[in-house]
Amino acid sequence: MADAVNVGVNLDAFNHAISGVHALRSSVTRVFECLRDGLKNRESLERREKQFVHEFQEHLQAVNRDLNELERLSGLVGRPSESHPLHNSGLLSLDPVQDKTPLYSQLLQAYKWSNKLQFHAGLASSLLNQQSLKRSANQMGASAKRRPKVQPSTLVLPPHYVDDVISRIGRMFPDLSIELFRPNGTSAVLLVSLGKVLKAVVVMRSLFIDRTIVRGFNENHYSPDGKLDLWTKSQYQVFQKVTDHATTALLHYQLPQMPDVVLHKAVPVAVPTLRSLPSGRTSSHLERLPDTRGLSRHLPHVAPPPTHVAPPPETPAACSPAPRDTCRM
Amino acid sequence: MGVTCVCQVPVAEGKSVQQTVDLLHKKLEQLGAVKQQGNFCVDCETYHATATASGQSSKLLYVMHNSETPLSSDANFDVLMVKLKSHFQNAKGHKVECRGSKYRYSDFSIKVGTVTMNSSARGISVEVEYCPCVVPGDCWNLMKEFMQSFLGSNVPELPSVFTVKPEGLFAPSDCIDTMTQYLELFNKLRKLQMPGGSNIRV
Repeated sequence: MADAVNVGVNLDAFNHAISGVHALRSSVTRVFECLRDGLKNRESLERREKQFVHEFQEHLQAVNRDLNELERLSGLVGRPSESHPLHNSGLLSLDPVQDKTPLYSQLLQAYKWSNKLQFHAGLASSLLNQQSLKRSANQMGASAKRRPKVQPSTLVLPPHYVDDVISRIGRMFPDLSIELFRPNGTSAVLLVSLGKVLKAVVVMRSLFIDRTIVRGFNENHYSPDGKLDLWTKSQYQVFQKVTDHATTALLHYQLPQMPDVVLHKAVPVAVPTLRSLPSGRTSSHLERLPDTRGLSRHLPHVAPPPTHVAPPPETPAACSPAPRDTCRM
Repeated sequence: MGVTCVCQVPVAEGKSVQQTVDLLHKKLEQLGAVKQQGNFCVDCETYHATATASGQSSKLLYVMHNSETPLSSDANFDVLMVKLKSHFQNAKGHKVECRGSKYRYSDFSIKVGTVTMNSSARGISVEVEYCPCVVPGDCWNLMKEFMQSFLGSNVPELPSVFTVKPEGLFAPSDCIDTMTQYLELFNKLRKLQMPGGSNIRV
């Protein structure tokens, strides 16, 4: 009951004031009881009248005392704060139908949530800016005059060079086979099969890995019109997670000047981990997956991956404010 | 279409078949599995070869239907068997059926069924399938651990269908292996209830 009006209210004094009201009520009741009972049975009329008047006076004085006490206490209680936290919407808190539509408390929750969200978003953006994901060879903030008009050389590589690098990597492992397609221009699309475990579709942009999708061995990798399906995700959660890990790895391990170094170094490390994917090694198979973040120890000159941003705050839908009873006096 | 393991769950002490099945359902739901729509049904009918003049011992033909692979439950298949009546005769009274509900838990698919023969419940079967993998040798440990989480100590050993293949554990598995496992289970349950001599050979 005190969430809308706060700060100025002294709850203790409030309680005392309420008991003061009770006391006042009972003394008033006693006055009327005395009047109702009338004269008591005594020896003489005078005595009875005197007794009656005496009692009546006493009761009235008790009422007076209690009223003064109540006035004193109510002075201590204080006024509710005049400045509503949300200006006119604070007037919503005065709505007596609080149980059915707890508008004001929900409004406050939404406001607090959006403040938290803004704070977290600020933190996230500062963290993300530390790890730049721009995979271009140009320096940031190059002046207009020095901005190169020539395309970086690593993007324009002759197709047969790309083919050579890919076939060299494909020969590294006996159960790793790579098929190369060029369905859309000069960008290579690789269908990598790893044993009988998985098949991955890797879309390249000269020697840079652009995107990858990992699917199970027995899934359909071709779209209905016969072409290699580049977009449909795997239907199994395991391979969806592996796709996410692989995408993180390819965004993280990047050397814009020397893309083939990444391929030569990262692939031999990733392959044995992926090969042992179905069997798992730890006792909690169902939760843990091979962690590609461990690759960072093999590529020491690349910065370690960013730490997790703090988890997002609760949404207003998730926290359901319990309806508060208004105090009825 | 992944690696499947069919195993039998013994009925709990002092409980009926239906109660044990309900207990399994509750355990699965506590684990977080989601119940799928509809029921599954696997049944098996036996046919003997009628004796021919050559005097060879009668061979048995099993026709199995599985509601999950509709091709085998094509109604015309049964009609085909009727047409072959001159060579094979239906051994009535030996039809075994397994019906139950399906659950899905991320990449696992679990089917808990009651095995009935002549409308009397004989036992409980549990089929666990790990869909992403096709090679039993790679994922057997994972499946065993998953089954332990809701079957407790009743976890079976590696099914023999996988070990008797020429390439051993690393050959891809398919639906025939699943049906073979069901067949073995049905035969085991049939034998349990008919200890007296019967001429049904496995």
